[in-house]
Amino acid sequence: MGKITEITVWTRGVVMDKEARDVANAFSQAAKMEGKFVQAFDNYEDLPDRVLVTTRKYARISDEEIEMKYLYTNSHPDVVVIVEPTIVKGINVLKGMPEGGLLIINTNRPIDYMLKFIPNADVLGAIATVDADGISGVKTVDFSGSEGGVDTAGIGAGIAAPILGAMTRVTGMVKKESLAKIISDVAAMERGYNEVKVQKFRKSRVEYVWGG
Amino acid sequence: MAIKVPKEREVPFGAITPAPIKQQELFMTSNWRIVRPVIDHEKCTRCFTCYIACPDSCWSFIEKEEKMEWNWMFCKGCQICIHECPADALSAVPELDFEDGVVRLEKPF
Repeated sequence: MGKITEITVWTRGVVMDKEARDVANAFSQAAKMEGKFVQAFDNYEDLPDRVLVTTRKYARISDEEIEMKYLYTNSHPDVVVIVEPTIVKGINVLKGMPEGGLLIINTNRPIDYMLKFIPNADVLGAIATVDADGISGVKTVDFSGSEGGVDTAGIGAGIAAPILGAMTRVTGMVKKESLAKIISDVAAMERGYNEVKVQKFRKSRVEYVWGG
Repeated sequence: MAIKVPKEREVPFGAITPAPIKQQELFMTSNWRIVRPVIDHEKCTRCFTCYIACPDSCWSFIEKEEKMEWNWMFCKGCQICIHECPADALSAVPELDFEDGVVRLEKPF
């Protein structure tokens, strides 16, 4: 079994649930279109989610077939995406991250300010911020409980689109052309791709060259 | 003396809590908050509407200083107090503007 890249997406329950699910689903679907083996799922531990409670969504991407089917938590996330920036104050988001991991935050604040709230940031290989709220400004609150099954807004309509664009640029794991076939708000994805701010740290692992 | 509980009789997290105490620190919910209510003591009329409206009893009155006190540990940022305040003494400020109030739990709750 080859190296599996684990992606954990942190979000707030109900109010930003759909965005995080779109990030995990669309990113792994784009990787699947490029011939990778993927898994994407919600967390069962955090459910049922309530308004504003921190919840997780997971994605796994690998060049070879993924054999761990029944483990539904990412214990060693290589990429952590934070859909709502206040989460860094309440949760140890880098728990279990191996050296040289990547953190992507949706915020308009400077990177140095965000690093104040992450005391264990020395494991990071790179940190990136994207102002997805400012770019799309749409929060698609879904109270239907359908979990996206009858979603009329489409995948990647709200703040998920700029975050996906930033993830594409920073991880370099999928092409944005593949993402553009899946998500509905392609213009916001392009803006997220162009406007992401990255700060790299020296001790990035050799096998991960974050930055495409 | 601690009572020995056999493995098969153990109960899940939260079923037994140390009581009676005023606040259960096991159930800290301050990481639910995106905005925080900030009180202007000049405008506050001590009408106790926030005390009545808060679902989590996060507002209390300090009798010595004659002002309302906010409990950061259990406020979920629902903004009901801000909405209900008749004197407009409360305002919603983004939580990231403050450097205090960091809890950093290992799991969501």
